Amino acid sequence: MKLRSSLLTAVGSTALAAGCQGNPFPDPPVHIIQNMDFQQRYEAQERNDLFEDGRAMRRPVEGTVARGEVHLKENDHLYRGRGPDGRLVDALPSNIVDSAALLARGEERFNIYCSPCHDKAATGHGIATTRGGGFQVQPASLHQDRLRAMPLGYFFDVITNGKGTMLSYAAQIPAEDRWAIAAWVRTLQTHGKTKGWDETTGMTTVAAAEPAAENGAQKDG
Amino acid sequence: MPAIFPRWTNKIPLALGVLGPLAGVGLVLFVWVYFSPSFTDVGYRPEQPVPFSHKLHAGEMGLDCRYCHNTVERAAHAAIPPAATCMNCHSQVKIDSPKLAPVRRSYNTGEPVPWVRVHQLPDFAYFDHSPHIAAGVGCASCHGRIDTMTVVAMDQPLSMGWCLDCHRNPEPHLRPLDQVTNMSWGDSETEDTMIDALRKLAGTSAPAETAGEQQTYNYREDPERTRLPEPPVACSGCHR
Ligand code: HEC
Ligand code: HEC
Ligand code: HEC
Ligand code: HEC
Ligand code: HEC
Ligand code: HEC
Repeated sequence: MKLRSSLLTAVGSTALAAGCQGNPFPDPPVHIIQNMDFQQRYEAQERNDLFEDGRAMRRPVEGTVARGEVHLKENDHLYRGRGPDGRLVDALPSNIVDSAALLARGEERFNIYCSPCHDKAATGHGIATTRGGGFQVQPASLHQDRLRAMPLGYFFDVITNGKGTMLSYAAQIPAEDRWAIAAWVRTLQTHGKTKGWDETTGMTTVAAAEPAAENGAQKDG
Repeated sequence: MPAIFPRWTNKIPLALGVLGPLAGVGLVLFVWVYFSPSFTDVGYRPEQPVPFSHKLHAGEMGLDCRYCHNTVERAAHAAIPPAATCMNCHSQVKIDSPKLAPVRRSYNTGEPVPWVRVHQLPDFAYFDHSPHIAAGVGCASCHGRIDTMTVVAMDQPLSMGWCLDCHRNPEPHLRPLDQVTNMSWGDSETEDTMIDALRKLAGTSAPAETAGEQQTYNYREDPERTRLPEPPVACSGCHR
């Protein structure tokens, strides 16, 4: 009898402990072989107490140019959205082609980075602005006449440097994607609030046809 | 003369013969179950310095993972966002919330927010997010339903056997390339837990909306793919 009951307890407690599998627990999992699991090198975003701020990753020196951005200085169009005269441009940089692929990319990126506030149709009623008391400044509708008349470079500039209460997205979005988003904003503006474009029409630069664009560019340039 | 070995000792060899192997098997099973990462690691849920909720941000508000983890498609490491990313919104909403004090401090002083790391492979294993995302493996396959977690917990063991299970047969885990961050795509993919199985028996499990699509998705015929994924199974693929 004693044997049976101890067997029962053994089986029972095993089953119980096995049932704990997957339950949340707050303490770090056991690492038996410490020096293999945590070798003497640092990974991205790891902690290093040697430095005052505790970051193992050091900040790049002011003015550092990322690898691949070699033509940063020369390529004002690609990286700043400005032409040789220092004014905002109304065309895509030469290495980016207006194509269905670009617009698809732009749509995807717009929905990731902009739609939380501006919503997918760019009317300025994104979900984040409706929660927790709402935004102090409502995001702009990108269909206003004022913005419809802006050159393409203006949208690139707003994403890169922010505008008013909207902060810069330069750290989150690479320059090429910012142009794709700008192209998609233009597509939304010209083809209505819904996706009314088809792949043959592509992005249309309304601003190019309207002289108002020049004024807008001057004001902000 | 009394026997040197009393009679009961005759049973010792028999007992050893029977119990020894049993104990051996028991020990193996014990280590197998309790020392495996699916027991020791799954469910690790450290307390975070800011009560940031993926359930609220990624689930209810539907923010895309890449809004914050924006390097995941380009780099090995899926960056934990800097305070500036939070401040995009939190300079506008919940601006005085005490829960966000560490984020505001970090934004103003440049001190990092001391997030506690949840998923961590040993340093001798090589893992890179970008080829997985490019191959159409969803975040949910490896991190579970993050959009339902108030606090992030480990959902999968991240053990070598687990990596290889998928690498040997990735097909059931592949999805269209634009659905990678969609948490509810092909809900039925994740392995059934016992509870799910019971629910299914009882007929109370909610049918997944897109389960049908998942069943019909054939990655070999997806025109978006320029090449078929070839996950490494040789040691040097992950131990380099
Ligand atoms: C965190 C919320 C938020 C996100 C995300 C966001 N914006 Fe904004 N945006 C705003 C707010 C708020 C304003 C109004 C700013 C003001 O007037 O002070 C604004 C204004 C603008 C304007 C109008 C500027 C003007 O001249 O009035 C443009 C253009 C714009 N956003 C584009 C974008 C694009 C493109 C993205 C995606 C990369 C984006 N926004 C993402 C909140 C956001
Ligand atoms: C609003 C920004 C934001 C969004 C959107 C977001 N995350 Fe996170 N995520 C964070 C922050 C901040 C942390 C670190 C704190 C924590 O672990 O909760 C984190 C942590 C994580 C971790 C754990 C990292 C570790 O330490 O191992 C995973 C996994 C993760 N996120 C996956 C996702 C997935 C999948 C999505 C999309 C459904 C997503 N996140 C969307 C901000 C975000
Ligand atoms: C797209 C906008 C957006 C971003 C980006 C964002 N949040 Fe939020 N967050 C919100 C909104 C809106 C609420 C309020 C939701 C509600 O109460 O319904 C909120 C609520 C919160 C709360 C709860 C505050 C309280 O007092 O209840 C915390 C904590 C929080 N966020 C942390 C973060 C952190 C940390 C990050 C950066 C990783 C972040 N958020 C990024 C929009 C955002
Ligand atoms: C193939 C499995 C897999 C997929 C798919 C995957 N992850 Fe991960 N993730 C991991 C592993 C493994 C780690 C731990 C990496 C390490 O320790 O080096 C990790 C770590 C992380 C971290 C912590 C920081 C880091 O890189 O170590 C975040 C945040 C994260 N993942 C977010 C995501 C998001 C968002 C997605 C979807 C876009 C995603 N992951 C898709 C396996 C995966
Ligand atoms: C859910 C499925 C899945 C899981 C889990 C998974 N992988 Fe993969 N992995 C893939 C696929 C699919 C590829 C093939 C990518 C390709 O060929 O385009 C891949 C490719 C790789 C590669 C080659 C990357 C390159 O640069 O070519 C490495 C290394 C790798 N995985 C490591 C890991 C490790 C380590 C783990 C466990 C922590 C893991 N994977 C878990 C699906 C998975
Ligand atoms: C798909 C990627 C992958 C491949 C291929 C792979 N490994 Fe691993 N291996 C891992 C990961 C991830 C871990 C860490 C597991 C953990 O944290 O428990 C690991 C751990 C190990 C360990 C340590 C075991 C432990 O429990 O700490 C050894 C030894 C090892 N691998 C040997 C090999 C050998 C030999 C091969 C070739 C037959 C191989 N690995 C192939 C991903 C891989």
